[in-house]
Amino acid sequence: MTDQAIVLSLLLGAGFGALLQRSRFCFFCMTRDYLEGRDARGLLGILTALAVGLIGYHAIFGLFLPDPGIGRLPPDAHIGPVSWVLAIAALTFGVGMTLSGSCISAHLYRLGEGAIASVIALIGVLIGFGLGFASWNSLYLAAIQQAPVVWLPQTLGYSGSLVLQLLLLGAVAVILMRGHQPAARQPNASMSFREQIFKHRWPAHVGGLAIGMLAVLAYLRVAPLGVTAELGSIARTLGDEAAMLPERLQGLDGFSGCATAIKETLLSPNGAFILALIVASFISALISGDFRLQPVTGKKALGHFAGGILMGWGAMTALGCTVGTLLSGIMAGAASGWLFAAFCLLGLWGSWRIGKAT
Amino acid sequence: MNKKPSFKAFLTALSLGLSLGVAQAANTDALVTTDWLEANLDRDDLRVIEVSVNPGKYERGHIPGAVNFRWHTDLVDTVSRDIASKEQFQSLLRSAGINEDTEVVLYGDTNNWFAAWGAWVFDIYGVDDVRLLDGGRDKWEAEGKPLAIRPQQYSPGNITVSDADHSIRAFLDEVVEVARSENPATDIVDIRSAAEYEGRIIAPEGVNELSVRAGHIPGAVNVSWGNAVNEDGTFKSPEELRALYAEAGIDGDNPVITYCRIGERSSHTWFALSRILGYEVKNYDGSWTEYGNSVGVPVTNLAGTVWGGQ
Repeated sequence: MTDQAIVLSLLLGAGFGALLQRSRFCFFCMTRDYLEGRDARGLLGILTALAVGLIGYHAIFGLFLPDPGIGRLPPDAHIGPVSWVLAIAALTFGVGMTLSGSCISAHLYRLGEGAIASVIALIGVLIGFGLGFASWNSLYLAAIQQAPVVWLPQTLGYSGSLVLQLLLLGAVAVILMRGHQPAARQPNASMSFREQIFKHRWPAHVGGLAIGMLAVLAYLRVAPLGVTAELGSIARTLGDEAAMLPERLQGLDGFSGCATAIKETLLSPNGAFILALIVASFISALISGDFRLQPVTGKKALGHFAGGILMGWGAMTALGCTVGTLLSGIMAGAASGWLFAAFCLLGLWGSWRIGKAT
Repeated sequence: MNKKPSFKAFLTALSLGLSLGVAQAANTDALVTTDWLEANLDRDDLRVIEVSVNPGKYERGHIPGAVNFRWHTDLVDTVSRDIASKEQFQSLLRSAGINEDTEVVLYGDTNNWFAAWGAWVFDIYGVDDVRLLDGGRDKWEAEGKPLAIRPQQYSPGNITVSDADHSIRAFLDEVVEVARSENPATDIVDIRSAAEYEGRIIAPEGVNELSVRAGHIPGAVNVSWGNAVNEDGTFKSPEELRALYAEAGIDGDNPVITYCRIGERSSHTWFALSRILGYEVKNYDGSWTEYGNSVGVPVTNLAGTVWGGQ
């Protein structure tokens, strides 16, 4: 069974990596496109992924837990505790995205495109995770332990939860479309089909559709999409061996999210997922010609490193990042997913404004 | 009259013979084979129940028609440390559509540990038409037998369970009495790893429930649960099991108490000794997390571990 989980994770990771690379599915870049150039296409792609995922997750939930009102949560779905800690974690994550120029999943696929500086960001993420573990016990006692775990279908039923969230996504889409100013340069319609698939980036909504479907398949067969479980596990294992972390992380293993266990096997399903993601992005970038080794400047390295630390801390305390908590959380109808999205955006926007002003 | 038997009659006879053969292959009071279960899945008076420890196992594919029992909420009291109450257990069985005459087959992941725990709880409440799927979930999957993801709803059953029968459940006082007696008339089997038994470690890595003292109950013999199964997870033959435990001095002449850390793996050995070999066995579900934390009870610590000392 574990073998099957690893094989499936390799396939899903490869699919995710190729999709991220082909459609430039980078949460930060897509948001910046809108903030700077009023180009809403990227953010609409994210909304597409969320809508497809929401529908698929709710269909699966009906199988996994026919009655959502009985006080249980569907297995493994990323439904986390809602507290001020989550808000601060998401805010910090958003600032980290601006500083390092990408979220964690985008650093992973960029690594496949030859962005060496992403390694520095990922090292920062590992350190950030260590800081997250170190602060976890006090945050857990201060807020997380008493925090409600809000799952919308529990109170609204599956139809109510699905309709309400689709309406919310629709409302955001309307706002974005109103603000959208079509880019001056449209993709060349005379391109051959082959070029459209293998050379040119895919439209974000195509990537979004496919990522939404991939997320549903991943949840059905293995676990919700997430990219930080393995990073967190590496940080936890290193910190544990160096005796730098608390011996007991209170209550952490009781929450579903990007779980971070002390590593016992070299290749966990999430580890396989991450490796396949990077390799598939690399192959995809080679074919399309997007691969080039990008030099690292001192300033860039510093931003990547500092941003990585902030993202690591945020992803640990929020039990996931833009993929594990935002995408997989909102698809699952978790209030924690929505809260993460709102505060992550706020952190990104605020730090982007400050960055522009200075 | 020399009437030739029709081909249809021949087929009927053949299938009857085959099904009898299959039924005989599963002919034990304790176990059913995967083949037998597959052939009997559509019987209305048979209910298959999955008791797995890992959430998401049942949901991502289970034996068609099986019902999910979650051991950590359905089969135990979630506040006090105890098994599910009679009322809780009865309503659980009824909601699974179990009637007085329903045959139950239990199976689960991790070598049927929790399915065996389930079988023990069924036995405590006097539900006796209960068997384990030999080899559990792993064997079913390894043989490529079908799995379903659609949950099955059954109309409520009418079963009435008995009061808890404590003749198969040991409590601390009784265990301490055996541990203190010079010539105990009860055998104790510790089914944990040798390292836990010897007191070199308190518990396996990664578990939250620990004890203040390491070691084992005086007089207990150590037969790890894993010795009772073949490579494919099925129980060894009754003869092999009898020889295995006899070698450790457990021959069924004395009543037996089994224990582990929290009482669930020891249910597996309870099942082997009690249901397969027919010995008189109690499972001590308090196990080492109760015994090793109790004040003033005798402990054998072969490793000489000193608690808390450097």
